[in-house]
Amino acid sequence: MGGPPGELPRRLGSFAADRARRTASADRWLASLLGAEPGVALVAVGGYGRRELVPGSDLDVLLLHHARPGIAALADRIWYPLWDSGTRLDHAVRRPADARAVARSDLRVALGLLHARHVAGDPELTGELRSGALADWRAAAGTRLAELHALHEERTARSGELAFLLEPDLKEARGGLRDAEAIYAVAAAWVAPGPGPRVRAAQEGILDTRHALHEVTGRASDRLVLQEQDEVARVLGLADADALLCHLAGAGRTVAYALDQSLRAAHRSRSGASQLSASGSGASRAGPSRSSRFRRRGAAPRRPLADGLVEQDGEVVLARPADPAADPVLVLRAAAAAAEAGLALAPRTLARLQQCPPLPVPWPPAARDALVTLLGTGQAAIGVWEALDQEGMLPDLIPDWERVRNRPQRNPLHTFTVDRHLVETAARAAALTRDVARPDLLLIAALLHDIGKGWPGDHRVTGEVVTRDTARRMGLAVEDTELVAGAVRHHLLLPHTATRRDLDDPETAAQVAAIVGSQRLLELLHALAIADGQATGPAAWNDWKAGLVGGLVRRVAAVLGGAPPPGPLPLRPGQVALAEAGQPAAMVAGSEVTVVAPDLPGLLWQAAGVLAAHRLAVRSANATSHGTMAVISFTVAHPFGEPPDATLVTSDLRRVLAGDLDVAGRLDRQGLLSTRAENAHRAWLAPPKVTLVDDASRTATVVEVRAHDAPGLLWRIGRALGEYALDVRAARVETLGAEAVDVFYVVGAGGRPVTDAATRGLIAAEVLSAITG
Amino acid sequence: MKLITAVIKPFKLDEVKSALQAFGVHGMTVSEASGYGRQRGHTEVYRGAEYQVDLVPKVRLEVLCDDEDADDLIGVVVKAAQTGRIGDGKVWCTPVETVVRVRTGERGPGAL
Repeated sequence: MGGPPGELPRRLGSFAADRARRTASADRWLASLLGAEPGVALVAVGGYGRRELVPGSDLDVLLLHHARPGIAALADRIWYPLWDSGTRLDHAVRRPADARAVARSDLRVALGLLHARHVAGDPELTGELRSGALADWRAAAGTRLAELHALHEERTARSGELAFLLEPDLKEARGGLRDAEAIYAVAAAWVAPGPGPRVRAAQEGILDTRHALHEVTGRASDRLVLQEQDEVARVLGLADADALLCHLAGAGRTVAYALDQSLRAAHRSRSGASQLSASGSGASRAGPSRSSRFRRRGAAPRRPLADGLVEQDGEVVLARPADPAADPVLVLRAAAAAAEAGLALAPRTLARLQQCPPLPVPWPPAARDALVTLLGTGQAAIGVWEALDQEGMLPDLIPDWERVRNRPQRNPLHTFTVDRHLVETAARAAALTRDVARPDLLLIAALLHDIGKGWPGDHRVTGEVVTRDTARRMGLAVEDTELVAGAVRHHLLLPHTATRRDLDDPETAAQVAAIVGSQRLLELLHALAIADGQATGPAAWNDWKAGLVGGLVRRVAAVLGGAPPPGPLPLRPGQVALAEAGQPAAMVAGSEVTVVAPDLPGLLWQAAGVLAAHRLAVRSANATSHGTMAVISFTVAHPFGEPPDATLVTSDLRRVLAGDLDVAGRLDRQGLLSTRAENAHRAWLAPPKVTLVDDASRTATVVEVRAHDAPGLLWRIGRALGEYALDVRAARVETLGAEAVDVFYVVGAGGRPVTDAATRGLIAAEVLSAITG
Repeated sequence: MKLITAVIKPFKLDEVKSALQAFGVHGMTVSEASGYGRQRGHTEVYRGAEYQVDLVPKVRLEVLCDDEDADDLIGVVVKAAQTGRIGDGKVWCTPVETVVRVRTGERGPGAL
């Protein structure tokens, strides 16, 4: 809102005080506009009613009257100055009965009226509306709260979760300001308690962030985009954008968790109210229970779940003989029982579990079993884990958890904060427990694999140390501890090697086998790689990656089993037939393009150039030979969704080999080579890096390039190297969002790796200049 | 040269057209439009409708003129279109680099 003219500039610092001041100033202004008119009242509703005016807020005002003549002229007198000042106004002119009728048909109006606040005029009118609207809300609580729940779910589906998004919408996201308001709305229906001090503090924190965001941008936008985060953090007095996101994640989770509890209470009260005709939702899971049809509220039956734990009213509660003060394992047992039954822990049960003494170190086997049972329930474990987190019980279980809690990940691949990613990975790993000999170790390794991110340095190295320590606390046997620590240390080994090394090079499998050392660790790493990839986000795991990791695991398993590593897959009959035709040709099968041509140096990168000119992004390339013909198998992605036309590719390939096609010119015309120039001014991009990896292969020199993804890269590098009689034998491209890790297997004259230091230096320099143009 | 664009209430079009003709404007482009401004489409002070933005039907009128006529023309449009109520619309003026009469190929002010 703009506010009345002559407003004083705000003193930086206290945001709440500023909101109160804005509200008071708007109140005074409205009162002066209304003057001493009998029989009317100005009422603040919505955010204005809650005194939450931030710089971009609307002024939600209701002019109440009892069929007063000349009300339109009076409204003119109030609204026009507001409009003329540029204030964003949401206005209505109604009689109390009309306002209640509108609220009955429109949930958002009803929610706004819950915060109706008298501003000026006749206070009795406002009081009549307030009590009427609240009475309506309570009378129809059943249907209204169901609508509220649906609205919340729709918002979550549309805007995601405040706690885990890199650019969250502070108002609409799950755990955001609308959800905080919803907690009050449930409380206003008298079916759940109002928000406690933690939730109010969290709400205030999000509101302060929104306030700062409006102030920084000068706009009424509620989405905290990346470029504003540092400035907003500064205005809020926080260290940096990471601290801001961490702070928001904590607040968002607190609000979301509290709203879940409120909505569950609302749901219970609804099903409780209808229990005379049907059994409660919780009981229906367990099948028809005795005399449920005649049960009354407060007498819900208890169903035993585990030692000291029962289900009641759709929640897990403590059985009467349970004694938290004498039972350190009860927390984990309750969590496991709740996740297994797919239920939530009752709030009062969570409060009582706080009395549990800390687990002895090392943990008794029952505690470990309960943890593994909890994690083994998959998705159901996530909500229960969140409850333990919200109640502050996790640091007692895993002291290092606090260091990764709410920690943002500045990486376009990641969907979740570190702690939620760990729980998600464990939940995904639960689906893979049949594939490993030791499911318990897989689940524990999944839960801990990124725990090292709480410490400076390489998280795999720090994670190994923390994991060893944590596994000992949990009472794992020495060899099990080593296995879990090894899984954490090497959790990126398989995906990195599979996507960045030539699997057909025997050295690749041999090296991985030397690091892994045992079948047991290999299968753990395989399952962990899948779960980790799936839990990271949709961009981090796909069929292509899964296939590569699977292929690597097969080869490493063969080496570990003492067999020679399997060679490259034999050529398929179609490929053989194509090669035996003796002519340059291409064949397309889904995302695989096979190119055959007489075996000459430079064939691979020239063919890659043709594919780039057909707007195909090469993901991997592998060359083998059949007689005098080279057979190159490319994996490609077609960004425009159209598979390439084999005939056109073949004809272009023949023209390139005959020297009739100017690939550079074609790429240039398509604008495919300009990407780098456009990117050049984006100074925040890290400079590209070229590394020659020693010992990765015995038959070729391995060049690893980390750069911003760009089309035609393989072709450019191949062309640059070709001028020095060097050739590219194979290539892998892994894209990480906009970043790419490209690996090239380069051979010198005679198809041998390059050992001469001068030539190696030349390779690095040429590759770098080919990327940077 | 300038392009004057006016978004006005539809029922005011005839009045604005006559005023412009009286001023000596030979040609204009009129199109139907819809939009909203500060009141977000709530054209009556009386009703209001929480949280809804309504698009209100409007008429969009464009006139090309010489630089020296622009201010007078704006005055003529504003005077004719004004009711004093919300939603009266807006008039704005933008510089025009060149104008070509398609039939003859004439350029510049001669093409107006």
